[in-house]
Amino acid sequence: MTWHPVASSADLTYRTTYHAQILGRELVAWRADDDAVNLWENRCLHRGSRLTLGINDGAELMCRYHGWRYANRTAGCTYIPAHPADAPARSVCNRTYPVAERYGLVWGSVEPQDSGQAGPPALDLLEAGDPTPLRPIVVNAPPAKVADALAGYRFQPSAAVTQRPGAAADWRSYRSPEGGWDVATVERDELRVTLRAADGDDETHLVAWVQPVDAHRSVIRGVLDARPPAPARLAVLRHHNHLLSRLRDRVEEQAALEPVPEPIQVEIVPVSVELSGMPELGAGRRAPLRVRVARKWSAAADVAGFELEPVGSPLPGFQAGAHIDLHLPNGLVRQYSLTNGPGESDCYRIGVKLEPESSGGSVCLHETVREGDVLAISAPRNNFTLSRASERTVLLAGGIGITPLLSMAQTLRQSGLAFEMHAFVRDRRFLPFGELVTSFGDAAVEHQGLSPQQTAEEIGRILGEHTLSAQLYVCGPAPMIEATIQVADELGWPEESVHFEYFANPTEIDDSTAFDVALARSGLTLRVEPAQTVLQALRAHDIDMPSSCEQGACGTCLASVLEGEILHQDVYLSRSERAAGDRMLTCVSRATSDRLVLDL
Amino acid sequence: MIKLYNYELSANCYKQRLFLSILGLDYEAITIEFFPGMEHKSEAFLEINPLGHIPVLDDDGFMVRDAHAILIYLAARYDPSGRWYPTGDPGLLAKTAQWLLFCEGTTSTASAARLHDSLHYDFDIDAVRAGAHRLFRVADEHLWFAEQEGYDWLVPTDHPTIADLALFPDVILSEEGGVSRQDYPALHRWTDRVKRIDGFTPMPGIFFAAPART
Repeated sequence: MTWHPVASSADLTYRTTYHAQILGRELVAWRADDDAVNLWENRCLHRGSRLTLGINDGAELMCRYHGWRYANRTAGCTYIPAHPADAPARSVCNRTYPVAERYGLVWGSVEPQDSGQAGPPALDLLEAGDPTPLRPIVVNAPPAKVADALAGYRFQPSAAVTQRPGAAADWRSYRSPEGGWDVATVERDELRVTLRAADGDDETHLVAWVQPVDAHRSVIRGVLDARPPAPARLAVLRHHNHLLSRLRDRVEEQAALEPVPEPIQVEIVPVSVELSGMPELGAGRRAPLRVRVARKWSAAADVAGFELEPVGSPLPGFQAGAHIDLHLPNGLVRQYSLTNGPGESDCYRIGVKLEPESSGGSVCLHETVREGDVLAISAPRNNFTLSRASERTVLLAGGIGITPLLSMAQTLRQSGLAFEMHAFVRDRRFLPFGELVTSFGDAAVEHQGLSPQQTAEEIGRILGEHTLSAQLYVCGPAPMIEATIQVADELGWPEESVHFEYFANPTEIDDSTAFDVALARSGLTLRVEPAQTVLQALRAHDIDMPSSCEQGACGTCLASVLEGEILHQDVYLSRSERAAGDRMLTCVSRATSDRLVLDL
Repeated sequence: MIKLYNYELSANCYKQRLFLSILGLDYEAITIEFFPGMEHKSEAFLEINPLGHIPVLDDDGFMVRDAHAILIYLAARYDPSGRWYPTGDPGLLAKTAQWLLFCEGTTSTASAARLHDSLHYDFDIDAVRAGAHRLFRVADEHLWFAEQEGYDWLVPTDHPTIADLALFPDVILSEEGGVSRQDYPALHRWTDRVKRIDGFTPMPGIFFAAPART
């Protein structure tokens, strides 16, 4: 794999974008707040706008045209403003290129990623000292011609520029002393030239690369092997800038006499249809990712925090509100919300509340799973999506229900959008991720030790009358969600502005009926027997259907209903969505009619 | 009340709107339909400015024309800190004037290319674009070394001057004239810094930068 320098590290300043180019291919380079450098195709997947015109918010790059957002590291699309309620398919992903930082330069390659090569080859000459990049010099000439000219570049050793009396003011000259500097081209390797200038024991090495921008455009990127002493550092930088600019002028003059080669035509590969649709999850609950427990800690009195780092492939991007399936050593599968802020893809963080009375998922995580253990997880999936277009966003958390809301709050904070978070807990010791909550300052309010009645009253005071575009997100125990929905309704909050996520479905499931399910697209009719779910019947006939919680809480196994009466038994759909009668959760809901027709 | 004879898409008028906004001054913008109405060449407007160009500032009856003269007037009259137009320091004042004159060059090159491409003006487009690149190269080199010396602005002081505001529009709108800024990363970083000046206001074709580090 061939690496080319595309920028100086210092070019990627705080929250800016940088327009890079290799062999005719335009790239956007940007540094996230966690110091990760991204090098992507300089096109938004939506309308092809240059992403260099976009906004780097420190965690995501937002296209200026229609506001599509792409996550740090993965370039996965996290948000489409025209569809705020729909999660973009997590596989909608911009094209990324290999990138590395070395010797004060940013490096990239437009060739396919070659495993095991994390950056350009190391040069002993630059490994030892304190390599100092020169000002890059753009040359309108073919790269090979620029490299030829560079092989003849002559300069003074840094010490000669800095130590001679009056030398700092004399950076323009290249003067040989009596007998001459010992200047030589040490090595020429296609677009790289290594030069040496010496004055007795004082010697300076310069390694210069020619960045092949296009057929007729190049950038000289030179790196000195050592940082010139402080007082005359600028004189040395100016010395090279002056001499290399003259070299550029000569090369450009020469190049102007010759025919200008055609710009390199690059192929922009469109995103495949499969990648731009919803991800194919396949039948059942898949756990394609492996993670290692990097850290386990007490995130509250009864909550264990887990930091899960990737094993092998990097972790996919996710959206605020997303959850993963965690496959436990005891065979159980449980869903946990990611608490991460936007663009944090080096690890996933979850919080697990100990529920000794439950079927053993949380007990297993609290007591058996240790740091260093490897677990299987699903890719993140989001059925609790956050709108970034509202003027007021209220986040109501009951206990451990705060986890998806923490991700939302960090996302809103990162985008500079206001929010109000209210955490209802027994007392301070039971507030999960208290430190993170504290970091929200006045935006987060704790409510301690309230009875259900007091909680409902408090929620009423918090919500007040509905104002234009205000949105409410609530996650917590079932009674709290039910109370919130009722209070919001009484205060005139429209149903579509109230978003909720249950941990579990408290409904007593009736699975005593039998009915037919006709699949309109598959041309197949199935019989659902008592004690069997629609989902199980589908799977028994090899129909692909994703699922996650399988208890009517998460919304993953949603199917469109074309005909028939539905017996809704989930806690995912809103009242009006149920009343519309055009969709159902196949894991718990059934038919009250003899026959259902599904759009499958 | 300050009145500004203004055309929304004019880079030279934008300089005034930007500075008025930064100084926090109220003003009334009087639209002169530059294109396609050619109102700046109308008999009525020639009474206001016999040279037939905009902007013109009317500060309670005191009239001043020419973009950079207006910036100088506004700074001298309304900036008590004296930092936008540093008359107190001969060196800084000279450098400010030097960069203001540099902007006359970008007006006749980068800005001319924009008039050619968007308003169908008859210029030798290759010549004006090449001229813009020559000037941008000089400005990029200057700003790269300014950064090395710890300065954010065209004039070596810790505060922007009207020279920064005078150069900014021609640079940031250059792509409307087919002049790419890809080869001028130091110039690009400086445009981000200008966009983060308190009171910054955009115009069509100019966007806000991400907020500065807090």
